[in-house]
Amino acid sequence: MKRLAIVGMPNTGKSTFFNRLTGSSSRVANWPGVTVDLLSANVVLGGNAVEVVDLPGIYDLHGFSDDEQVVRSFLENNAIDTIGVVLNATQLDHQLPLALQIRKLGIRPVILVNMIDEADQLGVRIDTGALSTALDCPVMPLSARHGTGFNDARDAITRELSAASAVSLNDLRDCLHADDELVAEAEALVSQNVKAPSRLVRKMTERIDHVLLHPVFGLPLFFLAMFLVFQAVYTLGTPLQDGVAYLLDVFRGLALEPLESMLPGNLYGFLVEGLYDGVGTVASFVPVIILFFFFMAIVEDSGYLARAAFLTDSLMAKLGLDGRGFVMILMGFGCNVPALMGTRVMRSRALRLLSMLVIPFSLCSARLQVYLFITTALFTASQAPLVLFFMYLASFAAAFLTALVFGRRLKSDEPFVLELPPYRQPALKQVLLRGWHEIAHFLRRASTFIITGVVLVWLLTHFPAGSTPGGAGTWASMLGLWMKPVLDPIGISPDMSVILLFGFVAKEIVIGALVAMTGLDGSALAGYLATQMDSIQAISFMLFILLYTPCLSTLATQLNESRSWKFAGYSLAWSLGLAWAVSFGFYQGARILGY
Amino acid sequence: MKILENLSHLRKGETALITGIHAPDSMRYRLQAMGLRTGREAEVIRRPRLGPMQIRIGSVNLIMRRCDAARVTISTQQ
Ligand SMILES: Nc1nc2c(ncn2[C@@H]2O[C@H](COP(=O)(O)OP(=O)(O)OP(=O)(O)O)[C@@H](O)[C@H]2O)c(=O)[nH]1
Repeated sequence: MKRLAIVGMPNTGKSTFFNRLTGSSSRVANWPGVTVDLLSANVVLGGNAVEVVDLPGIYDLHGFSDDEQVVRSFLENNAIDTIGVVLNATQLDHQLPLALQIRKLGIRPVILVNMIDEADQLGVRIDTGALSTALDCPVMPLSARHGTGFNDARDAITRELSAASAVSLNDLRDCLHADDELVAEAEALVSQNVKAPSRLVRKMTERIDHVLLHPVFGLPLFFLAMFLVFQAVYTLGTPLQDGVAYLLDVFRGLALEPLESMLPGNLYGFLVEGLYDGVGTVASFVPVIILFFFFMAIVEDSGYLARAAFLTDSLMAKLGLDGRGFVMILMGFGCNVPALMGTRVMRSRALRLLSMLVIPFSLCSARLQVYLFITTALFTASQAPLVLFFMYLASFAAAFLTALVFGRRLKSDEPFVLELPPYRQPALKQVLLRGWHEIAHFLRRASTFIITGVVLVWLLTHFPAGSTPGGAGTWASMLGLWMKPVLDPIGISPDMSVILLFGFVAKEIVIGALVAMTGLDGSALAGYLATQMDSIQAISFMLFILLYTPCLSTLATQLNESRSWKFAGYSLAWSLGLAWAVSFGFYQGARILGY
Repeated sequence: MKILENLSHLRKGETALITGIHAPDSMRYRLQAMGLRTGREAEVIRRPRLGPMQIRIGSVNLIMRRCDAARVTISTQQ
């Protein structure tokens, strides 16, 4: 097995190249540093089995951020046959020093001069042949996105791989040459072999930025854009959700209900009213989630996120965070886990920990499902979006409050410097791949957490034998009574408390568990919910769900990324405490005011 | 007497040559690798009253806080 590592600066198109080479779908985003986990895939090149590894984007090999350490330790600890160095053709003056750094390590890399289409448009001419002679390694111009030059680049890699034998790089840092020499060498190479206009004019990007980064209108436009995205997800998603629910119901009527007479009552109840309805209700939210990620992918791929960081930085600075932190919070609206991993680009540990403390309060798509469900069940069609909007505000408020409280203890001197990429039209293929990625993700979760959770809840609410399902005497109601002293003051009934226990594992279980517990779904379940809570209790319940803890995966990621039990413990204790205090304040306050 | 000027002093549309970076080693490496190298020309593209500045160095556009820009010394007499 041969190994090819893909290295390059953030946002140069490494993932796009990787996907084209391997045919697999890693996530692509127009935001420096999104490739956070090491993605690898196996391909056959010229008869050799090759493992291709997509490394995180880095600016240089000296660096001290976690991402840079990941790349360094990967290169030091794994035998590598060749390195594909992806460079942005429009920025060779800036990026060539990194290629030279790698060239001097004692591995013959293949230098991939990517985005050649943009270079052509901007009038940049590169003599790759001469560069190749000067560097004594292949230098291939290509467009990973459009495919031009890709076959030649792949052939060059194939040739290198079959000629190369694996090398391990030890003490990589000692091999790094003096930067000044490299930079001088790169400058000489660029001035001889690259013809570029003295000032690259990206008219489109400049024009768009003139509006979107406007000192007065920039921020309002940003909030408007966010609002429109959520509005679109909501209006497009609801009919789709009804559609899936309808299909699942039709299937139930045709294929499952005839089984009622054939199966023993308990088994039918378990399989159909518990498992099928439970998981099915969760599944009906999948279209909303896909839509959500679809829009997120468009925003990410367009390059707008770096602008969001620009616009929000001064606000975030007051909280001890920076613009990148805000972008991570936004990404957390999709799922907290990748957002937490995205903090690896930060060099200062204090800033990273503070960001990781704040991100779990982002109202992720799993929590959104719960809210969509509860708000449609308990509020009128005109109230529901307002309640949802209020939850998003609460999510921001909790994040900001947390930053304020802990910011003083986690101070950092991390510079805030970020590259502003040009706007790019999102690649449809990538956006679609992303949607597929989410479906796969959901199916994985459904087949593990959600099924297990739903099954356990069903057992807890239907046993010991002889007790009324979901009523007094079941194990669930015993648990509920036991938690009553804590949850009663915040308006959560004992029957709901067992649901909170499972929501701890994954928020999707909450709705599935409600169905399994009651044996009801659709409007019958909505009716049941209305007997369990009035609107004040419902909001208190939702606030608690928002804050008390993200899911088990988020907690595990916090632990992995911080490598500190103490930090993860603090984070959990803080969010549990905050959740209870906020719900208590809201519920008791509303009751005192007479609602 | 020579007054030490830094990048945060520049106004929108002004350009200057970078003469050095005053920061601890690890931070300096990062800033250099992002394009802030001695001898290169920097132009201020945006400088809102609140928030970071946008700087162009060659083909690279960076956003950076004023306090970080203050670490970059420049010379304007060309
Ligand atoms: N015009 C053009 N755009 C490209 C090309 N290759 C990639 N892109 C775009 O550049 C952006 C960044 O691509 P990615 O593949 O995410 O870059 P990356 O290097 O993996 O980025 P990180 O994961 O942030 O390190 C995306 O919007 C791509 O669509 C290309 O050859 N031409």
